[in-house]
Amino acid sequence: QNRQISGRVTDRSTGQGLPGVTVLVKGTTIGVSTNSDGTYTISAPATATTLSFTSIGFVAVERTIGDASTIDIGLATDSKQLGEVIVTAQNVERTRNSLPYSATQVEGDNITKARNPNFINGLSGKVAGVQIRQSNTLGGSTNVLIRGTKSLFGNNQPLFVVDGVPISNANTNSADQQTGRGGYDYGNAAADINPDDIASTTILKGAAATALYGERAANGVILITTKKGRKGLGVTINLGATAGRIDKKTFIKYQNEYGAGYGRYYEDASGFFLSRDINGDGVDDLVTPLSEDASYGARFDPNLRVYQWDSFDPTSPTYKQATPWVAAENGPESFFKTAFTLNNSISIDGGNDNGYFKLGYNNIRDKGVLENSEVNKNIVNFAGSLNLTPKLTTTAAINYTRVDGKGRYGTGYGDGNVMTNFRQWWQTNVDLKQQKAAFERTGRNATWNYSDPSDLSPIYWNNPYWVRYKNYETDQRNRFFGNVAATYKVTDWFNILGRVTADSYDEIQEERNAVGSVGLSSYDRYNRTSREYNYDLIGNFSKNVTDNFSIKGLIGANLRRQYISTISAGTNGGLVVPDLYSLSNSASDPLPPNENEQKIAVDGIFASATLGFREMLFLDLTARRDKSTTLPSKNNTFVYPSVAAGFVFSELMKDVSWLSYGKIRANYAEVGQGASALAVNDIYSKISTFNGNPLFSVPSTKNNPDLKPERTKSAEGGLEMNFLSNRVGFDFTVYQQNTVNQIIPVTLSTATGYSNRFVNSGEVRNRGIELTAFVTPVKTADFSWTLNANWTRNRNEVLSLYQDVQNIVLATYQGGVSSNATVGEPFGSIRGSNYVYKDGQKVVSATTGYYQQSATSNEVIGNPNPDWTGGVSNTLNYKGLALYFLVDIRQGGDIFSLDRYYGLATGMTPETAGLNDLGNPSRNTIANGGGVILPGVLADGTPNTRRVSNTNYGLYGYLRNPAAGFVYDASFVKLREVSLTYSLPTSITSKLGGVKGIDFSVVGRNLWIISKNLPDADPEDALSSGNLGQGYSSGSFPAVRTFGGNIRLSF
Amino acid sequence: CVDTLDDYNIDPKRPSSVPATSLVSNAELSLTRTLVSPSVNLNPFRLYVQHWAETTYYDESIYDIRTRNINGGFWTAIYRDVLRDLKEAKAIITADGTLDPAVKANQLASIEVLEVYAWTTLVDVFGNVPYSQALDFNNPQPKYDDAKTIYTDLFARLNAAIAKFDPTAEGLGSADLIYDGDVAEFAKFANSLKLRMALTISDDDAATAKTQAEATRGKTIASNSENADLAFQTSNPNTNPLFEQLVQSGRNDFVAANTFVTVLNNLSDPRATQFFKLKNGAIRGGVYGASNNYASFSAPGVNQEDPTHPGVLLSYAQVEFLLAEAVERGFNVGGTAKSHYDAGVTASIQQWGGSATDAAAYLLKPAVNYLTATGNYKQKIGTQAWIALYDQPVDGYREYRRLDYPALVKPAQALSNIPRRFFYPVVEQNLNTANNSAAATAIGGDNVDTRIFWDKF
Repeated sequence: QNRQISGRVTDRSTGQGLPGVTVLVKGTTIGVSTNSDGTYTISAPATATTLSFTSIGFVAVERTIGDASTIDIGLATDSKQLGEVIVTAQNVERTRNSLPYSATQVEGDNITKARNPNFINGLSGKVAGVQIRQSNTLGGSTNVLIRGTKSLFGNNQPLFVVDGVPISNANTNSADQQTGRGGYDYGNAAADINPDDIASTTILKGAAATALYGERAANGVILITTKKGRKGLGVTINLGATAGRIDKKTFIKYQNEYGAGYGRYYEDASGFFLSRDINGDGVDDLVTPLSEDASYGARFDPNLRVYQWDSFDPTSPTYKQATPWVAAENGPESFFKTAFTLNNSISIDGGNDNGYFKLGYNNIRDKGVLENSEVNKNIVNFAGSLNLTPKLTTTAAINYTRVDGKGRYGTGYGDGNVMTNFRQWWQTNVDLKQQKAAFERTGRNATWNYSDPSDLSPIYWNNPYWVRYKNYETDQRNRFFGNVAATYKVTDWFNILGRVTADSYDEIQEERNAVGSVGLSSYDRYNRTSREYNYDLIGNFSKNVTDNFSIKGLIGANLRRQYISTISAGTNGGLVVPDLYSLSNSASDPLPPNENEQKIAVDGIFASATLGFREMLFLDLTARRDKSTTLPSKNNTFVYPSVAAGFVFSELMKDVSWLSYGKIRANYAEVGQGASALAVNDIYSKISTFNGNPLFSVPSTKNNPDLKPERTKSAEGGLEMNFLSNRVGFDFTVYQQNTVNQIIPVTLSTATGYSNRFVNSGEVRNRGIELTAFVTPVKTADFSWTLNANWTRNRNEVLSLYQDVQNIVLATYQGGVSSNATVGEPFGSIRGSNYVYKDGQKVVSATTGYYQQSATSNEVIGNPNPDWTGGVSNTLNYKGLALYFLVDIRQGGDIFSLDRYYGLATGMTPETAGLNDLGNPSRNTIANGGGVILPGVLADGTPNTRRVSNTNYGLYGYLRNPAAGFVYDASFVKLREVSLTYSLPTSITSKLGGVKGIDFSVVGRNLWIISKNLPDADPEDALSSGNLGQGYSSGSFPAVRTFGGNIRLSF
Repeated sequence: CVDTLDDYNIDPKRPSSVPATSLVSNAELSLTRTLVSPSVNLNPFRLYVQHWAETTYYDESIYDIRTRNINGGFWTAIYRDVLRDLKEAKAIITADGTLDPAVKANQLASIEVLEVYAWTTLVDVFGNVPYSQALDFNNPQPKYDDAKTIYTDLFARLNAAIAKFDPTAEGLGSADLIYDGDVAEFAKFANSLKLRMALTISDDDAATAKTQAEATRGKTIASNSENADLAFQTSNPNTNPLFEQLVQSGRNDFVAANTFVTVLNNLSDPRATQFFKLKNGAIRGGVYGASNNYASFSAPGVNQEDPTHPGVLLSYAQVEFLLAEAVERGFNVGGTAKSHYDAGVTASIQQWGGSATDAAAYLLKPAVNYLTATGNYKQKIGTQAWIALYDQPVDGYREYRRLDYPALVKPAQALSNIPRRFFYPVVEQNLNTANNSAAATAIGGDNVDTRIFWDKF
């Protein structure tokens, strides 16, 4: 006798009913499909024990029937399904099966799993071939490199496209900021996207996949598809909060034996202290050498009474009092607060047969680990679609983002970045709680670093609390992006899409240096306007010519118009009225603002065709012609093709039971690229005026009226295989990309009168291997475990430069080191001074006892490119419970640490103190048994026996060691993301009137650095996105371990 | 479409043509700033001649050139920020068919003099440098020319320029930030430069030195009011770099060096209190080449904290010391060694606010008096020139190397001997490899011990 079983099948990620799911009585052919709201009723024979639920794009599930008459089930999306639809270039949806190139789709759920407020960071470790480097600053930028660095000087970041709208990922950080010379990291603009609005992200890596996007696609494309409204009305709410603490393994540890000073050359008999009469008794007292930002001073001694910085402020409890000479109880690590983030979103969507709409709102309030730091993001997005007639569909989407920053962290070297202070220049006797109390008590810059007891102005460093509360920056970005489009179905195999897209934003950045700070007080403002419009007309066709033969393709045109205008202005000679930040408050007449305006127009036409044979053989052909205003009109047109082929060989091996799927693919493509704006015609730069006389100068970069387009040539081959009913599988890709005829502002010997000249020259090759694999070791009705892994190895080599130049300096940094492009070496090799070696031992000078250093600072001392990167994620599902964790790995690559270069010189770290080989304090004078014998050999190979003094600054740091002494391995293994989610069973939620699903999540990010080799810092922390600063660390921020929770409610 | 959008390549905010003289103004300003800057990234010569000592961080005092790429900064400043602008100005003026020929000649001659000045600055600091093939973007790898050959060409260029000056016509006008367009004074500057160049090479080529020096007789700068100097302005960015480093930075990096102070104090030099501030009632010098407690020593004087403090390219005192030396070398330049020496000392004291009486009293001291002071003419003139060139660090460094007085000693912690030159910037090794290494070989090694061709002793 049959019995009726009914229930509802939902998408586990959204709680929405899933139509069209096949419900089958196992072992029979009895089956039904679910209705439009996901419900089903099936009549099963009495002998039936199990129901199976299958749907393309979802993990199949089997359920024991038992006595149940109702079986509700939530299906999880399955990115491994072969029928999976992938969004490819120009929003063409294709089955994975038919793709002849590498494209990785990451579902929105997977990106937001750990509730990262920046969706780009949420991709880290998840995609082979994509290297993501995040900054530890609040709202800081993320460097994204797909298949390596291609352009020597140009942009290497991928193009971001949201539902067909190319959006700006501009980074407005200055070159100084990017090379560690101070300033703020304002982040990059692609982070203006609501992560909860993302349905999926497709990463197109090679040129064959991206060529249709034109010249900007040479670096890969990150294609974002936002969620669409579904039938019926749905509401999803996410309520989340996270808290973060610094990872102490990534912060400096201090020696606690010696206090302020650079050595023994001050005023008292010991030489360690100033000697002044502070209390007015006519006898000179011991005073800390206040101006000295190092810890090579007197040995701590609680019985010694010293007048310290806190004894000069009349409101201080220790005014005119000497205090014990001891290490600070509350060192700089106590400066960090708990970071706190609220990430809430709501989305409403609905639809019927005539169209859909959705409305989303996301609010992220992000407070950092530093005082007075906050970045707020408000994102509203709306999209709607209406079928006006059966043939004509119109859609519109608009996103509004407002980002408000206040107190972003100062970066790099300088008094705006407290890390420079704590890691490089600090007195170990200074107590942070007292600094805080002094700032709060006085409201003034009560710094530990006064010029002199008789001159209480700050000399090198401000009170760190003053820095955070008085010298803060503010910024705001208002942005709209979206599109309107109409699609007309001419026939069932041909439609035409017309679309206008816009991305428009205005931003302001304001920086302050308050009256009373180190250096001149100042106010600087920077306004930037960015507009991009695209006009597309695309015809799509898709036809099965015969049963075996299909043809699909498009033909289109794109007009792109970009406009960027910036203006920056600042006060001159200081501020008159304290705390008033306006240009008119300038002490001297402010200089004229610096204005920039650039326009770019590119017209493209393109066509593509995909020929399919029996769902087994696929051939893709594309061609695009671009015409760009950035090139001289004689060279401004360029055409480039691609060809790609895929062969699903498993179609011929259907009788091989262990093989579920097998495909081999190969492709070749080229992409042309124009220049940056205004690189063709020569101009003069205005310096300013002098006593009424104008000053003009020949600019340091020579433009070039003969520029030609540059070209990236890309070849790729791949093999995909799945086994054992798709329980195990891999995707293996090899690629090579050569970027030739690069348009580069090549570095010139300044003896030519220029620093740079735009030329077409140089070739960079990237070749590599990408491997993605998955395995589902356990899969039962209630429990499943899936492991995903990806591994990438990219080898980058500069093949040629300019004429017979063998090396070009890309950037120079503090510490006498530089980034270089050298023929035959990977991009960005780090050069600086090196040790001199004999038989693998460092050579010590027999006359000085210090290490010998190379004659020049031009030796290669590091390569910043990793040997490989990888990620391993595990997903375990047990009934409604899902545990996910991701381990992100970077192996190899070097990093130079300016923090160590100076911090070791100034005697802050434990290795600069302690005992020497004789068992005496190394900081004693040599006569007193102190000093150190540096490990190494003399030029003749005999061991060094000469003892050198460690009483004054420099022995372990920059003064006595070459730059190579501060280069470290940048490898790391991080537990990047953890989430534990519990979905309430529908049996409960269904009783809660209208509730479709409730998920509780506990999330963690960057919880554990499992291994690293860079001391006291996070090897991943970056100054900015972009080519500069790779392999260079200064004023580095500690990693933040983030914990939190999220509740998702679906109605 | 794109074909109609040619103007997208026109920068709407920057000009494609400018007045030529505005480029000259900028070059003069850049040159002067480079010469007088005390920045440890650009100009360490106040340290090398031991006028100043550093306080906490003494890296540059022990001749660390490499870490801050000081040589590269100096090289780029002269080539790119001075010579390139001058070349551009020359091209624009030459092509200008509407300019009065006499004015044009004066402008071109003035530019030529500034160029010669800049080239000698490069040669005197580096030795062989790219010259005949320099300043041409089409030749990214210019060969280096022999320093002596460059000097020979510079004499020819300078003589040609001097012949062109016509004081009855206008010159650069107010765009000339040094002489405010006074052509006659510019010509004196040109002759003084020639005299300086002649004496510079005199140990190497006495005959040329004699000819060139004698040709300047009566044509050189004749008073402090004719000094080639540039008066800076009160507000940024047109202030004296000394003000920026000593005052605006809020830092306390420099104090008087003990070497210099010992000499000043021994001579009770009237300029000492102008050069430096008193510290506890005296001029106190910090130890050269070691860390010093700022509060214990004399800082540079109040006048150097004035944003308008002029930057000096060539001074009358300097000219008189050169003339004194010329007499000693048997060149027929008029006067006696003593008369020129006395005039030089007097000019220097007056330049620093002293009176003729102060100078006369000073000159009576046995250790100052040319007739009784210790040593040969090189020592006597060298010592006083060293004092007088306190505010002209690049000149001071040249004269010290050339005359070898006073006898400076490198500090204990020194990384090298006292540099006789800068080694070449590291970017030259990278971008101009073959020519750079050929130059290194030609001069006898690219290191700080290699002497410039004129540095014979």
